[in-house]
Amino acid sequence: MIGCAHRRVLVRALRSVVLALGVTVFVACAGETSQQSAQLEVAALVALPWDSVEARARGTTVTWRKWRGDPAINAYVDGWLAPRLRSLYDITLEAVEGQGPEIVNQLVLEREAGRGRGTASLVWINGETFSNLRAESLLAGPWAGVLPNAAFVDSASPIISRDFEQDPSGFESPWGSVQFALIYDTVRTPKPPRSFDELSAWIRANPGRFTHDQGFSGITFLKMLMYARGGGVNAFANGFTEERYAAGQQVVFAWLDSTSSSFWRNGSTYPPDVAAMHRLFANAEIDFSMSNNQHDVVNKVRQGVLPPTARALVLRDGTIANSHYVGIPFNAPNPAGAMVVANLLLSPEAQFEKQKPSVWADGTVLNVRIVPEPWRARFANAEADPQAIPRDTLSRYAVPEVSPRYHERLNADWRDWARAATSSREP
Amino acid sequence: MLRRVPFPVLLAMLVATPVLFGVAYSALAVLGIAGAGASAVADSDRLFSVLTDRTTWRATGWSLYVAFSSTAIAATAAGAVALLFPTHKRSDRFARSLATLPLPVPHLVAAATALFVLSQSGLLARVLHALGLIDAPANMPALVYDAGGIALILALAWKELPFLAVVAIALRAGIARDLEDAARTLGASPRTVARTVTWPLLWRGLFPAVIATFVFAFGSFESAVLLAPIDPAALPVLTMERFADPLLARRGEAYGLALIALGVAAVAVAAHEVTRARWGSLVR
Repeated sequence: MIGCAHRRVLVRALRSVVLALGVTVFVACAGETSQQSAQLEVAALVALPWDSVEARARGTTVTWRKWRGDPAINAYVDGWLAPRLRSLYDITLEAVEGQGPEIVNQLVLEREAGRGRGTASLVWINGETFSNLRAESLLAGPWAGVLPNAAFVDSASPIISRDFEQDPSGFESPWGSVQFALIYDTVRTPKPPRSFDELSAWIRANPGRFTHDQGFSGITFLKMLMYARGGGVNAFANGFTEERYAAGQQVVFAWLDSTSSSFWRNGSTYPPDVAAMHRLFANAEIDFSMSNNQHDVVNKVRQGVLPPTARALVLRDGTIANSHYVGIPFNAPNPAGAMVVANLLLSPEAQFEKQKPSVWADGTVLNVRIVPEPWRARFANAEADPQAIPRDTLSRYAVPEVSPRYHERLNADWRDWARAATSSREP
Repeated sequence: MLRRVPFPVLLAMLVATPVLFGVAYSALAVLGIAGAGASAVADSDRLFSVLTDRTTWRATGWSLYVAFSSTAIAATAAGAVALLFPTHKRSDRFARSLATLPLPVPHLVAAATALFVLSQSGLLARVLHALGLIDAPANMPALVYDAGGIALILALAWKELPFLAVVAIALRAGIARDLEDAARTLGASPRTVARTVTWPLLWRGLFPAVIATFVFAFGSFESAVLLAPIDPAALPVLTMERFADPLLARRGEAYGLALIALGVAAVAVAAHEVTRARWGSLVR
């Protein structure tokens, strides 16, 4: 039994905890004003010479909130990038989990909690996440233009200089570029379809062997279909309009209405994500997987996730290419460190390393014709994995992203369509 | 003011405070004045959308079905373990140990194992194909991502069983033998004793744990996200889907769904309290 004196101490302690909770909430609610400091710091940093920014970053820690779902990317960040930052700038890089919507929600909560400084100094973003962060004023900037290595960025490429048609305006710095690809097995499907028309015929001729996932890749696949059957990417370019979306959406759902009954499980359900797609493909439940990175197949074969005979496939109707970026949150605890990390990410050395098929095989965002030697020669003679699609083929069929509103709306409407359609189908 | 608050109430407040904050925040978020996409003016669009969307109620119903089925299977199995293996004999101790073996296995691992074993390209399908019972692994009935939620129910039941079995075994050991002996002396068969004396006493003791596992299964996200179909959606998965919706305006709906889940949990706890009170008055 607890003694009387002890009980009094315990009660006092508990009261203190309850009071402390109340005070914390009060302080949190009253602490809005201190949030401006990171933005002000970024504004001050961009006015400084670059070596002063580096001096401020030296000896600090940068927490980078990023997707941690791919061992190859993690190995590049933890095993190559972090040691470089340590040896060149004495910066400790801490990569932590968080992507897209989570980053937005986290920053909104941090703002509402009134914390002067947040938890992450750098975030990995693009597309609708960038759009949401800008709409909510959750990014600091502009800063990307002052990075010394920004001079090498291929700014003539609309896929790099525009993020889902949005002008980054210096609030995010490009890091890599990818292109959507289907994945097939050369043994199981020696003559794969090369266009949406051929794919439609193939799906009907091979019921139960095709599907797409519920996530970003699946919606990107449907968006490509919208381009292909809805008049091409130009029919949806230059901003979002309700009329153009309605026409595009009609095309997509008409195709799904006529084809999805021949999907895996008769279209009664869809794999939750790309990982599930890869598993179904590797177990021969379906004959196609897909990825937003054309080189993902190379990585996954090396990791043993996909069979050695798996290859990437781009459809001639065009496949969506986009870039990914890093941004600095409005409440970043270490903006100077984040800028130095972003600059190193853009360096020819880091971009070349990242592009290697044995590392990550992520496309560079640099104009490899203007980078200094020896990198120009190295990029020109870069090894190509025999399993990868040749670069000229990729660029020939690359189509850019359109406004993120198309992705947002198609994502929501497809879920409603799928739930209405699946209710009436037996597996 | 806090000085006058009794000690147990203070403790309860400490436990309840985060939940109450959560409820208050959720109410603000579903009204559009907190969270991503919030504005300064409250509106009922998100709340109306959640309450009138057929998907919400299908998901709630399906999650109730999954939670009820898995808990019923686990509770029955736990009761059976306690009734069938009550003694200190080595075989009984071994059987009880086997039943509690899944206790340390994380739910995510249990769900991934169910995926590995029960999918149409899984271990069971391959074994059945090897035995000639099905023509091809793909011919196995769909147990994963299926509207019946079979793999999800089995994975949850498998994880709930050891928890309920530990409670049931402890209860069985504590049930007064003189009540069972009295029933036997009065001529009751072993089956009648089990049905009219042992099981009711066991069930009353097990009931709080059953309610707890039911509520846990209802809100379980990690198993559902791996094993549930897109339609009907599991309520926790639908909540997360809305919370991560690219459309910022839709994220507030997640809080409405969370409040529905909390409401279901509150009803379950209230039902537990009412039932316990009724049992108490019956005893008196």
